[in-house]
Amino acid sequence: MAQHTTVPKLNFEYWLDKAIEWGQATTLESQKDMCLHLPQLQEFLHQIYETLKHMDSIVAIQQFPLIGQLLGRLCWNPFVIGYDESQKTLMWCLCCLYSSEPQNPVELKANSWIRSLLCHLLSSSKWESNDDESNTFTSTLGYTSADYYCHLVKNMVFSLVTELKGNQFNGLNIQGRVSASRVNAVSLFCLPLITLPDLTSLLETLLLYHGGASKEILSSEFLETVNEAFLKKKISLPESAVFNLWLRHPPSLEKATLYLLDQLVSIQLNSLEEVACVIKESLLPEAAIHPAIFRIVNEIFKNALRETSGTPEIMTIIQMFIQLFLQAHQNENKQHKFPLKAYFPYHHQPLVTALLRCPFGLPTTHWSQHLKHISDTLKAFVEDTNISSPADLFEIWFLVACFGEWLDIAAEQLLKAAVEPDALLWLLAFYYCPQNENQQRTQTMVEAQSVYSRLMMLFSCTVLSVKDLEAAVHSIIDVEQCSNQHLIVHLLTNFLLFSSGGHTIAQEFIYHITETTDRSKEVCSILIRTAYRINRIGKEDQSTVKLLNELLQKLTLKV
Amino acid sequence: MEAVLEQVEQLPALLAVSRSALVRDWDSLTLDRALEWTRYFQHLHNRFRTRPRLREALGRRLRRGQPGPLLSFPQLGRCPQLLGLALLENRALPPAACHRLLHSLLQPAAAEVGPEPRSLVLLARRKAASRLLALPRGLPRPLEGMEPQLQAEAQLLLSRLREEGQEVEPAGEAAERLRWLSGVLEQLPQPRAFEVVAAALLLLRRGSAAEQAGGRGRDGSSLDGNQASAAGEECVAGPLLSWLLGSLERFSAFCLCLPGSLLASLAGHYSQLSRPYLDLLTVWGCHLLYDPLQGRWVKSCLDKAQLSWEELRERFSCLCQGSALLRGQTQAALKLLKAQDGDFKVRGLSVWTDVLMEVEESLRKEAEC
Repeated sequence: MAQHTTVPKLNFEYWLDKAIEWGQATTLESQKDMCLHLPQLQEFLHQIYETLKHMDSIVAIQQFPLIGQLLGRLCWNPFVIGYDESQKTLMWCLCCLYSSEPQNPVELKANSWIRSLLCHLLSSSKWESNDDESNTFTSTLGYTSADYYCHLVKNMVFSLVTELKGNQFNGLNIQGRVSASRVNAVSLFCLPLITLPDLTSLLETLLLYHGGASKEILSSEFLETVNEAFLKKKISLPESAVFNLWLRHPPSLEKATLYLLDQLVSIQLNSLEEVACVIKESLLPEAAIHPAIFRIVNEIFKNALRETSGTPEIMTIIQMFIQLFLQAHQNENKQHKFPLKAYFPYHHQPLVTALLRCPFGLPTTHWSQHLKHISDTLKAFVEDTNISSPADLFEIWFLVACFGEWLDIAAEQLLKAAVEPDALLWLLAFYYCPQNENQQRTQTMVEAQSVYSRLMMLFSCTVLSVKDLEAAVHSIIDVEQCSNQHLIVHLLTNFLLFSSGGHTIAQEFIYHITETTDRSKEVCSILIRTAYRINRIGKEDQSTVKLLNELLQKLTLKV
Repeated sequence: MEAVLEQVEQLPALLAVSRSALVRDWDSLTLDRALEWTRYFQHLHNRFRTRPRLREALGRRLRRGQPGPLLSFPQLGRCPQLLGLALLENRALPPAACHRLLHSLLQPAAAEVGPEPRSLVLLARRKAASRLLALPRGLPRPLEGMEPQLQAEAQLLLSRLREEGQEVEPAGEAAERLRWLSGVLEQLPQPRAFEVVAAALLLLRRGSAAEQAGGRGRDGSSLDGNQASAAGEECVAGPLLSWLLGSLERFSAFCLCLPGSLLASLAGHYSQLSRPYLDLLTVWGCHLLYDPLQGRWVKSCLDKAQLSWEELRERFSCLCQGSALLRGQTQAALKLLKAQDGDFKVRGLSVWTDVLMEVEESLRKEAEC
């Protein structure tokens, strides 16, 4: 909600003017204005209460002569009373103004006025003559206005839901149609009530309602507020309603995606399982089954990656999201679901097909072969077709990056299995250095090959020191090109995890790396991803698992 | 136990006082004590809710405690709210006591103590919600849906009748209950009381129909989650029907003031009502005379003939649009009346011939559509 205008502390005049304006006008504009100001007003009421609670009621009225008029007017405004917790704070303020020992007629009158306001808020009372019979009837039955309004609101919600649903089904029946302006008004009037649990079914119906118009008929303020309440977990909605909200209102989808990113970046996460859990809770992977949603989310991720120039955490989040999306897509039982390729329509389709293969759908013995296939396809595409613009290259790189699990497997396979290294090394070189205008990638490839061959020489050594390993990569670690360093860290980390000599010095070496360079986050990301993959396969050597856990414990404490 | 029973016996008096001018002598200590009592009663309710014999004993004592409204066991659970709101509305409550009341009902410190203060906040919010949801103007509400306010009153009536039905009923209390029901319904002006009773009877049927259909479609109109068995529902409908049929004057006013479609659907659901309703229509029809100059049926005497020809015809055709059973019953009644009048086949001689012809014609038209 918009909170541009900063209101000075306890500005009674400002809010009294607003209250008068809102009280008189019944136009859509003034109602929208009201809805926009509700959060600020609630904050203001809270400030009043904080001031009043330490004050004598007489002093309070003397000090704030406008307070009575303001609170009185607000009590008659259903938008204010209906909104979130405003009614509570307002009633607290009234309680503070009530004098237990009124000394003069003015104070007596003030007391009586406060009680009439509270009755107005809480009962179908004597102060409102038209409801009087109903009130007597209710109390003769042994119930209170609380029971009456509980039923009344449920009935009204039910009746609106029936009306909207009926309208949806009789789309062709012109007579039975609810006008677009009525639906728009319903959505606006629901805005203050969004967090009232009685309204859930109405919110759901509104979000699923389209009414055949090409233009959005729900008020955008309503959509924004529902989205915000959902993100902050103030309300829970059925998935279909949330998906519809995001489909019909892209700003809400954008907000939800950014909210997820913020959430993941701001909390300290110790495992990919936790990341997966937060992402799943956001409902975004399932929502993305709708290609329109997928495209927008993907676009936002891409921008986030550009803006952070490829932080490993963001990269990991995106890869996790894609994995969860693929799972959700697989679990979806709809008859007419979109084929996976439809989500990547502008990419080289053989490459997309290769990347889409789920690693766990293949026997591990086929991994290196499939990786070679991916690498060859990619290489042929990048080198044969003349991709000149950096934007095109970025698109291809982003596609490869989204399926980063294959890259991790490539690094792992290089050190674990007997493979022909070149194709796998090229894949990694492309990931860490996509540009080749000045032969950067070629250079990276050469260096990667050289590091790899040294590592392989050390692989069979059972006795290994940090110095040996450092010497093996030292000459290369010094080079200025940082993409090479990422690649080397990737290979080194896998060396430490999967070679017997590496095991003995892993702790020391990683401590050394993280102390002398700013690579702890990067190493941590690699280890977290490896742990997640190993947990899913469940067939790893016990000593590796143990080492991995120890390293992670130390690193996550440090990061 | 006897001590507890004696305390409970005081509750009706306490509630009666809270609505009277006697509270003008209350100070903040009196108020605290009164609120404490209500919390204690609420506690008793929670403790004895699942123990039928103790429930019954408490219920009997509550009934004995006079003066005051007729109370039964479930009211014990709502005690704090009943008292709190009654006092809030009572202008006689002096400032010091009222100050105390407001603070214990609404202040933040109180919010943690019991469930009541939160529910008062919720109440204010729901009241505002009822205003907001009524604001959007546009098409009138669908005909089959009854006005939400009316429905809420009917739901409260039903749920109280259900609570009563759950209490073990000692002999001779049925008459007392009917007296109580009359008293309650007299709180409403007559057309409203009739509308509430009709709505309650319809909700009962709608509820059981939804239950048979697997309980779907009830979420919005569910009646306090009180899913009573069909037998239980009969003992709720029973008192309402007895009240309606207990006096011919009342039943005739009821049938006169409600629309034909509503009456027809009631008659369709409650066989107890269809015969008396048809009898009443017969009496009204007999007061119509044919005016050969105008060529139509007119009221013979303004006092007695309470329905015009058009209204009579409309009511009969509503009856024939209902269930097959009701249509059969209505047509049989009309044929019998027609035969008694001489079985004429031309218009203008017997009102029943004319009604029957009109009804059959409209049925034929409907079948063609």
